[in-house]
Amino acid sequence: MSASRSLRLSGHALLLIAAAPILLFLLLPSLIIVPMALSKSQMIQFPPEWISLHSFADYLGDPQWVDSTLLSFQVTIVAVLIAAVTGGTAAIALHGRSFAGKGLLVGLIMMPIVTPVVILALGDYLLFAQLRVLGSWVPIAIAHGVLATPYVFISAQTSLTSELNPALVRSARSLGARPISVLYHVYWPAVRPGVLAGSMLGFAVSFDEVVLALFLQGANSVTLPVRTFSAIQYELTPKIAASASLFIVLALVALALQAFAARKTGRLS
Amino acid sequence: MSSRHSRPGDQAGQSRTFAWLIAPLGVLYGVFAVLPLGMILRFSVANGFENFRNIFGSPLLLRVATNTLVISLATTIIALALAIPVAAVLWRSGPKLRSLIMAFVLLPFWTAVLIKNFAWAVLLQDNGVVNGLLQAAGVGPFTLLHNRLAVLIGMVHFVLPYAIFPIYTAMREIDLRLENAARSMGAGTAEVIWHVILPLIMPGIAAAALLVFIVSTGFFITPVILGSPSDMMISNLVDYYVHELINFNNAAALAVLVVLLLAPVIVLQQRVGKRGQYGVG
Amino acid sequence: MNSAVQPEKVSASSHQAGREVEVRGLWKSYGHGAYVVRDVSFALQRGEFLTLLGPSGSGKTTSLMMVAGFEKPTRGEILVDGRDVARRPPEQRNFGVVFQGYALFPHKSVLENVEFGLRMKGVPPAARRRQAFDMLEKVGLANFAMRKPRELSGGQQQRVALARALVFEPDALLLDEPLSALDRKLRESLQNEIKELQKRFGISILFVTHDQDEAMMMSDRIAVMAEGRIVQIGSPSDVYLHPATPFVAGFLGETNLVPGTYRGTDEGYAVVDFKDTARGRARLPADGRNLTAGEAVVVSVRPERVRLLTHQAEPNFPGVVADCTFLGRHTRYSIQALGQALTVSVTEWSQTSALCNGAPVWLGWNVEDAQILSGPEGALATPEEIIR
Repeated sequence: MSASRSLRLSGHALLLIAAAPILLFLLLPSLIIVPMALSKSQMIQFPPEWISLHSFADYLGDPQWVDSTLLSFQVTIVAVLIAAVTGGTAAIALHGRSFAGKGLLVGLIMMPIVTPVVILALGDYLLFAQLRVLGSWVPIAIAHGVLATPYVFISAQTSLTSELNPALVRSARSLGARPISVLYHVYWPAVRPGVLAGSMLGFAVSFDEVVLALFLQGANSVTLPVRTFSAIQYELTPKIAASASLFIVLALVALALQAFAARKTGRLS
Repeated sequence: MSSRHSRPGDQAGQSRTFAWLIAPLGVLYGVFAVLPLGMILRFSVANGFENFRNIFGSPLLLRVATNTLVISLATTIIALALAIPVAAVLWRSGPKLRSLIMAFVLLPFWTAVLIKNFAWAVLLQDNGVVNGLLQAAGVGPFTLLHNRLAVLIGMVHFVLPYAIFPIYTAMREIDLRLENAARSMGAGTAEVIWHVILPLIMPGIAAAALLVFIVSTGFFITPVILGSPSDMMISNLVDYYVHELINFNNAAALAVLVVLLLAPVIVLQQRVGKRGQYGVG
Repeated sequence: MNSAVQPEKVSASSHQAGREVEVRGLWKSYGHGAYVVRDVSFALQRGEFLTLLGPSGSGKTTSLMMVAGFEKPTRGEILVDGRDVARRPPEQRNFGVVFQGYALFPHKSVLENVEFGLRMKGVPPAARRRQAFDMLEKVGLANFAMRKPRELSGGQQQRVALARALVFEPDALLLDEPLSALDRKLRESLQNEIKELQKRFGISILFVTHDQDEAMMMSDRIAVMAEGRIVQIGSPSDVYLHPATPFVAGFLGETNLVPGTYRGTDEGYAVVDFKDTARGRARLPADGRNLTAGEAVVVSVRPERVRLLTHQAEPNFPGVVADCTFLGRHTRYSIQALGQALTVSVTEWSQTSALCNGAPVWLGWNVEDAQILSGPEGALATPEEIIR
């Protein structure tokens, strides 16, 4: 082996050594959640001394926690639907067009991601209070929809740029296709992967979201993250670890879906 | 694959289609993004400038604003320093190793920040794992929780993937032939890094820095779970005005202030994020 | 192009002359027993312009990359003035490399690009700036010194890449299809420039291309490559007029390949019988080949060497015109003769109008204008014409 080749290799090894502790730092918190939930103790303990499923039993046996879990899913599904439609159509609308102020418009679409959520939370709180619908789960779902839209938009935009052949639109129209047909036959197949990927991201954003749900909560609309947040601050029990495990499971599912999709398209995110 | 201008003949039908397509977003944002901001504005000036004077007069504002600035800056710097080696190792690794390392970055990325903070709270407690390891190494135990350190740990941990991705992307766009060209002229590894790689990823690093900074300023959960009252950040202050002091006008005034201060930074971030690599022939 | 006159071997100017680069027994495999370069050997003389010519996949770029140091040979030696550099990394070999796409540093100015190699050698700033500037003047780009590469045209970037590779006085210049992305006019003018530079600096050049015109125009010698091997090395006229195999005959220009049977010698010439004709017998230069009577051979004769006659004159072959196409510089005929379709290329005007579509003609050629070829390891190429 030449001198430089071994130097090149050891350069890579050095990089790995430098990065390893950082990678461990990244992964560690996610790793301890499930073991924590499996601990037998009545207190939050890591590492667990004995394994037991009692924390899960506590969690699933508590009607408030179960309600919150179901509510979270309900809110998130609606939010994702809103975001998918809104972000997808916006991406199609803006695709291939240039006009003065397009950059500004895109910037505005991206606003929910870059501004602190608490600002939007305050505004929504004031608005929905005015509309006297505070306390229902619907405002939360809509607010989450707004939050998730930019993610779908970017993802759809990227998907359109790489998947859509501009000539296809022209050919479809020259063959007599009206706008709806063009949308269905040309745009939808191209934008679908992006909408799906963005929706997955939107799902995570909405399901995990605390601040908006906190401001807009009602007696019967406490999402799982909000309940967990309060519990962490005021009432630390193993139930929390059990419900936290749900979040880990969701993260793993997302990771698996992403890997699956990457293999299908041959691309890595 | 670049976008093309529509030809003149296409315009008529296209405009209608455009209007229909952009309508969902227009309605959603119009009612549920613009209107809320309008409400904030209305509440903030409901009493003239009195509410603004109120919040400026409060000693809380200065402390919280300083906290936010200091914490965000520290988070940005630390996150960048940690992100560069990870991005580099992703870039230089073969496909299998890269997938594995990516998983290390993606799992925390997909995990809820609430849960991650919760885990850190458990790890950093006085009799937690970290103190356990430190004691095994002969130091400590230290107070690692409910202080600035814990907040920084939690924040850096969250933003790290957001710092890694843009830098990794910038590295991927470097033409391998540039490295070969430099080597053919006698450049060793250090020179290749200094003369070729670093200058070319600067825009990516800048974009990452701005993104991380902006995200850091908006943090809410982490200071609550991992910090002490003296680590209060601007989002917590808004929450304080709304839920503790129940003064919506002051809260709104504060919100307006935050938006005004952040707006130029956000604009800058959007611009920097768009700049591609230096154009190459 | 067919001239037998060799381009002048250059003598060094004030610039240091190139070195001899010898490649011995280079093999390259990426694993699984598949070799992309097989037993490649050649010697690039001092100041010589040697081209590796071949279709894609022939191993020419991989061979160049091994010389440059970006690929590690599976086997073989790379000697510079007798010293083996095969183990050295690219930054320790003193070669100037011009890559496809030029690979100019986009974030550095033209001047900074050109002085980079000098900087790596530790030349102090003032000196290297002056040398880089001088070099830019020599390629006519002194006015662009402060610009960034993206502000320059393709041809200008090419010249910057050349200047950058030459300025630090490398042992040899390695060029990897540097002109393939350019349009014809630009390509031709840059070909001339590269030749000019070579004459001025007397540098040894190893050039890779798939374009046979380019290879013929620029090279002192051409190494024709196929499937990882060098099939033939020689001067442009050698390779064109005396191809070793049907592949070489077909790759450099067009040729007609006619199968026949070797009958023996007659007055120093080889005699070959063609199939399917009564008068199918030709005399050809023996070319020093070792052939046995009765052996199957292939005769190669280029379209521009075939004469068309409207009357019979010994020794000629009868044929019928199947097709004719006027191409400006010449007229191309497809003629049924000797049992196959032959291509004939004619530049004279007088015959064109009369001969087409079914006209009977007679074909002939000078004895020296045809060659006997055999395929690799005695196997014959298919008796169809190989069109470029």
